[in-house]
Amino acid sequence: MDIAFKNEHLFVGDLGRLFVALAFGGALISFISYFFAAREEGLNKDTSWYKLARVGFWLNSLAIVGMGVCLFMILYNHYFEYHYAWSYTSRSLPVYYLISGFWNGQEGGFLLWMFWQAVLGNILIRKAGSWEKPVMTVIALSQAILGTMVLGIDLFGARIGSSPFLLLRNAMEGPIFQNPDYLSFIKDGRGMNPTLQNYWMVIHPPTLFLGFASVVVPFAYAIAGLWQKRYKDWVKPALSYGLFSAMILGTGIIMGAFWAYESLNFGGFWAWDPVENASVFPWLTLVAALHVMIVFKNTGHSYFTATFLVLISFVLVWYSSFLARSGILGESSVHSFTDLGMFWHLVLAIIIFLVLSVYFLVVRWKELPITKKDEDTYSREFWMFVGAVFLALACFHLIVVTSFPVWNKMFGTELAPPTNVVKHYNIIQAAFAVVIMFFTGLTQFLKYKKTASNTFVVANFIYLGFAALLTVLLYFVAGLSKLEYLYLVVIFTSLYSIMANGKILAEAAKGKFKLAGSAVAHIGFGLMLVGAVIAAGTSKVVSENNTGEQYSAEFAKEENPRENVLLYRNEPIEMNGYSVTFLGDTIEGAQHLFNILYERKDKDGKLVEKFVLRPNVIQSQDGMSSSPDTKHYLTYDLYTHVTMTNVLQSKPEEEKAGHEEQQDEDKNYDAPMAHEVSIGDTIRYRDGVIVFKGVNKDAKLQNIPITDKDVAIGAQLEVLTHGRTINAEPIYLIKNGSAFDFPKKLEDAGLKLRVTKILPEKQKFEITVYQQPESKKKFIVLKAIQFPYINFLWAGVVIMVIGFLMSIFRRNKELKTT
Amino acid sequence: MKKSSIFGIIIIAIAIAVVISTYSNSSTYGTFTEATETKAELHVVGQLNKGKELYYDATKDANYFSFFMKDKDGKECKVIFTGTKPQDFERSEQLVLTGKMQGNEFHASKILMKCPSKYNDNKLNVAEATPKTATL
Repeated sequence: MDIAFKNEHLFVGDLGRLFVALAFGGALISFISYFFAAREEGLNKDTSWYKLARVGFWLNSLAIVGMGVCLFMILYNHYFEYHYAWSYTSRSLPVYYLISGFWNGQEGGFLLWMFWQAVLGNILIRKAGSWEKPVMTVIALSQAILGTMVLGIDLFGARIGSSPFLLLRNAMEGPIFQNPDYLSFIKDGRGMNPTLQNYWMVIHPPTLFLGFASVVVPFAYAIAGLWQKRYKDWVKPALSYGLFSAMILGTGIIMGAFWAYESLNFGGFWAWDPVENASVFPWLTLVAALHVMIVFKNTGHSYFTATFLVLISFVLVWYSSFLARSGILGESSVHSFTDLGMFWHLVLAIIIFLVLSVYFLVVRWKELPITKKDEDTYSREFWMFVGAVFLALACFHLIVVTSFPVWNKMFGTELAPPTNVVKHYNIIQAAFAVVIMFFTGLTQFLKYKKTASNTFVVANFIYLGFAALLTVLLYFVAGLSKLEYLYLVVIFTSLYSIMANGKILAEAAKGKFKLAGSAVAHIGFGLMLVGAVIAAGTSKVVSENNTGEQYSAEFAKEENPRENVLLYRNEPIEMNGYSVTFLGDTIEGAQHLFNILYERKDKDGKLVEKFVLRPNVIQSQDGMSSSPDTKHYLTYDLYTHVTMTNVLQSKPEEEKAGHEEQQDEDKNYDAPMAHEVSIGDTIRYRDGVIVFKGVNKDAKLQNIPITDKDVAIGAQLEVLTHGRTINAEPIYLIKNGSAFDFPKKLEDAGLKLRVTKILPEKQKFEITVYQQPESKKKFIVLKAIQFPYINFLWAGVVIMVIGFLMSIFRRNKELKTT
Repeated sequence: MKKSSIFGIIIIAIAIAVVISTYSNSSTYGTFTEATETKAELHVVGQLNKGKELYYDATKDANYFSFFMKDKDGKECKVIFTGTKPQDFERSEQLVLTGKMQGNEFHASKILMKCPSKYNDNKLNVAEATPKTATL
């Protein structure tokens, strides 16, 4: 039975699905036509295949834009009849987060990838010239395969791809969908994953996906080179695109790290999470590939390695997607990507590109321009080659460990990753980093083809000596004694590399400008490593806590001090030279901000520094996500985040009048204590003292008129708690012969004060003090970490990207001149 | 022998060394019984016993969280985690603990939890809690 559903906006979804089909169809037509066009190259003058291929690709591009517009309309207008809008957005989201809602789901990620690939394809159609047909064949194939990922159609009982235009009632089952008017019950979407409500999520995914998408270009050139037997020509154009790819992908990855550092509670910028690792695989092999391509271009050696690395980079892009999207990492990753039923679909995509690569290498094996001659040991290219191979080995190690769940699935084993996986990665990767950084320095002293060995050895020793000296200096200045020996060697070789490349840069300024790009990129990379090693290696939790249950002296020997401290509102504690106070919380949109005052005083007690950090917590989708706030100094960062709070759980208290509710409310306090006091007396309580300053005989009450017959007396109290003074005036009223009292609540101090009796004969007042128990008082649990010299890391990244840009300009110039 | 052949052999040797060191560093997904037998850290997969008390009181100790978990064999053990209670812990469907036995208690250094989403049971959210920062 068909139900006529009310108020659904089906048109935009139908249009979206049409665009999905068109995008896939266009890519398929383009792929087939480009394939035949490339095969017929030079055979005849018939250009119909070629024309059709271009039309197909343009159709694909337009359809992708159409898909994006449709999806945005759905998100923007809150059409919750669509699964995508309902799952990832809500009415309360501001428009700029609707954009990040775009890539909240996996389908959006694929859409982004397709979009960038279409952009790159159109650039290639304009620029690739004689390479267009074979290169675009590969790109169109890739585009068609991506198209299948968002198809969302049922074929022979299996669902192929997952469409972003799926209707809610088709995505889920429920009795509600029997009701034609079901939409009137769906008032709002589930909202966005709180970790994504962050400005970095608006720019990090597009950058990362542009990086991922762009790896296809050098891959397509490598395949085209093999296919068309233009073995040597493909390297030059592929080099520019490869540099671009490495630059963007690297930026995207680091943006992710920065996002983790600035707004996730990872406790750092890199956690070796499997999904983080997966995004690095293609970057490492691509950077290795670029170096070997340059070696090949200059010497004709290492053809196979260059091709292999380019090909494997793109296969790894797909493998990386598989790891992130197939749900296979469920037991080892914090990323919440889940299986959309596309496990084998993704495997198939990897296999297609892997088989394509292997096929061409095998078929063309005998013709490949592989030199038999040995390279000269004193040549730059030989050591560049060695360095690149070590880069690939580092990647190999990352793949082996990250893929544990994959090995388990393949071989039926039950291996678990190393228990201290961070340490495992750090040590082995640091060993590779030592070798790689040494080569990036060493090769700067060598010339292509052949170098005179004497001058080389002398120059090298001088620089190594300086690097050693600088390391020792840094050891004392930055307090590196905490670091293990191996990490000091990483710093030493990185400094050596920075100086060696600095020398090249200085020479470049004198005219040899060609090499400046690589020198700058190497300096940036070296700085990045130095910053990362120091920041991660000497980071210190400053919110040390030595109190608590089970925390005996014996226990303290085994365990480090605990890392979370408890802060009651307005009760300052001492932390790492700062006096830290939790002032209160503010709500801004979905964010719940906690205002934490840091004050530092010098020896004489004079205030030298004062600032407020505002870490926040977002509650959404039934989850809580805590974001840190960081104070940046030139030489270190102070990072603070809230790990627990009772502020969010307590609902705003309503004014209660009735007696029953009064009693109910009193449960929030400890047993009341009544004190008989005269003016000038002091009442002591747990958190301070209350001074009875005087009596106000003309006390006024809101809403209650006081006539001449009535008596209203206010007790003027002064509360001194934790260095603060608060005034309060509870009131006692006699009206029409009955006595009432109006208590005064002091939320900040966790107090309620009442005048419960007046004793005229004794000239005394009975003041009853209600104090909130510790657990009812507003508190936050906070963790603070200090990251020294982290600015080296960020500065290094910026410098590296500039270096890549310079190299791209240089290679583009070369392309034009030849 | 050619230099490139020597280099090739070195590369293969390093690759093998990487695999071996990784393998020897790897651990297993075990049970509480196995954790009692070995002194080393290991991973234990299991389910939270929602019938027993989850204890976390920040006002007494901000770094003490205890709960009871049943492992794959159904054996139950008290788990102690030196940190704050991870958000939405009660809703977790499966837990992967990293840690070791101390007496009759399992001291977890890391908790990886899988939470079912409220609306959609076939969708899982994964979150991790680590009490210590990454140190090099």
